[in-house]
Amino acid sequence: MTSARNIIATLSPLLACLGLLAVWQVVALWLDTESFPTAWHALQTVPQILGDPEQLLNILDSIRRMVIGFSLAVLISIPLGLAMGRSARVSAFFNPLLMMIYPVPKAALMPIIMLWLGVGDASKTLVIFLGVSLPVIYHSFQGAKAVEEKMLWSGAAMGLNGLQRMLRIVLPAALPEILTGCRTGLVLALITMVTSEMIARQSGAGNILFNAMDMAQYDTVFAMIIIIGALGIVLDAAFDKLRWRLVKWAEPHQEILLGAS
Amino acid sequence: MRDKVRKLSSPSERRSTGGRMQVPLRPEIDTGTGATSDERARAMIEIDRVSKRFETSGRKSHLALADINLTVNDGAFVSILGPSGCGKSTLLYIVGGFVAPSEGVARMKGAAITGPGPDRGPVFQEFALFPWKTVLGNVMYGLRQQGVKRTEAEAQSLRLIEMVGLKGFEHFYPKELSGGMKQRVAIARTLAYRPSVLLMDEPFGALDAHTRTRLQNDLLNIWERDRKTVLFVTHSVEEAVFLSDKVVVMTRAPGRIKEIVDIDLSRPRVRAELLLDSRYQKYVVDIERMIDDGRDDAEHP
Repeated sequence: MTSARNIIATLSPLLACLGLLAVWQVVALWLDTESFPTAWHALQTVPQILGDPEQLLNILDSIRRMVIGFSLAVLISIPLGLAMGRSARVSAFFNPLLMMIYPVPKAALMPIIMLWLGVGDASKTLVIFLGVSLPVIYHSFQGAKAVEEKMLWSGAAMGLNGLQRMLRIVLPAALPEILTGCRTGLVLALITMVTSEMIARQSGAGNILFNAMDMAQYDTVFAMIIIIGALGIVLDAAFDKLRWRLVKWAEPHQEILLGAS
Repeated sequence: MRDKVRKLSSPSERRSTGGRMQVPLRPEIDTGTGATSDERARAMIEIDRVSKRFETSGRKSHLALADINLTVNDGAFVSILGPSGCGKSTLLYIVGGFVAPSEGVARMKGAAITGPGPDRGPVFQEFALFPWKTVLGNVMYGLRQQGVKRTEAEAQSLRLIEMVGLKGFEHFYPKELSGGMKQRVAIARTLAYRPSVLLMDEPFGALDAHTRTRLQNDLLNIWERDRKTVLFVTHSVEEAVFLSDKVVVMTRAPGRIKEIVDIDLSRPRVRAELLLDSRYQKYVVDIERMIDDGRDDAEHP
């Protein structure tokens, strides 16, 4: 009974993927247009792309930028968010700025950033950095603000000074919330990675995708969508595993997935 | 002279006394009722004309505590009893150094209190455990912070965990424990770094009646071993009388001390005997009447 349920639970993501591909296949066969290849065709193109060293290098370029942008954003956003959460003065200064930046689609800033930093890695990494920063700041802020005053008092009574309370009480207490922000940030990193390459075409997964689009190579377009989607699933699963290890002590709470980009 | 020196060097002085972990607690035979000539020397906490005003919205200020004078002797178990909103927790937070008084001064062993320190260990109604630490990790935390070696801190903590009745739960996380167990951990965590004073802020207020009774008994047993000074905030008359040497009855806001009742019941106290003891019953009834009088004043001025 329970084992059957377990099997269903572990297989359900796979079943969902297969279902989606099946629907795709049927719809594509039914529409029968050149611009919408069948799932089968698209899947067959995937190994061709990954087998081509030049294309693979392009994709690895994208991933490298994403990792750098994401890491920098997390390193800067977590301390900022925590400081905002614990200090009314810091949050009064940064809050209006963030509220202004939050609703702006980060990729829309790309042309301006390209004017300053060129079409190279720097611009694209900066856009990814901006995309990831906001949800991480926001969730770190919320997490730090929600830390129980009495927990900090207990620490103070044990002799922890302000900085120690920040690093050893606020940071771990806010960690579940911070990681929720990081997970949203990871998805946004993937999105901004592709859109930045759409605007500044020079290298990367987005470059392959949109060049193929221009040349009407629809098999390649849809194969790239599959690759990017698969990358998203793998990253999210890996992150979820890491998160479980870090905050297995936390009370379970409702997970809010995918903040607005 | 000595007093003066202490006052001048108050913050570091307090830290160093708190940090000295190995000082055994002097068992007090007399639990500090009745004034004697050496009362000043035995005073652990002195609250001297303390008032607390909170700024509320709309530029109005709310007087939470008005002119509180109270001395708690070394080794005494003193309860602060009053209706909710009478500022009794605020008074405890002032002694803890978590909240600064608007007027007056609170002193610990003669030195003005300017902030929290390991000589005063709080236990909160909300438990305030570190959820990312196991039971053992929580209890060890203060000891490690005081620079006690890991193996030594672990050994001491394991003994405390056993003393509060949680042997076998050392590696559980707080989320896996019931409310009563969490509060046991919180008590052990605070006892671990050996504060001179325990500050208990309605510690059993969030627990069901049965668990509450059991924790009261266990707290008394633990306390009767080393007679640490305890300042205990509660709104339960029975709890205050059962546990304390002195009950400080407070009025409704602004909180003032209405009366200080010495509880002259022998120790060790056994709940089953005490409940049948007419003197215990009289204390409870008298104090309840005092609190009711206050209510009448408030409702029909």
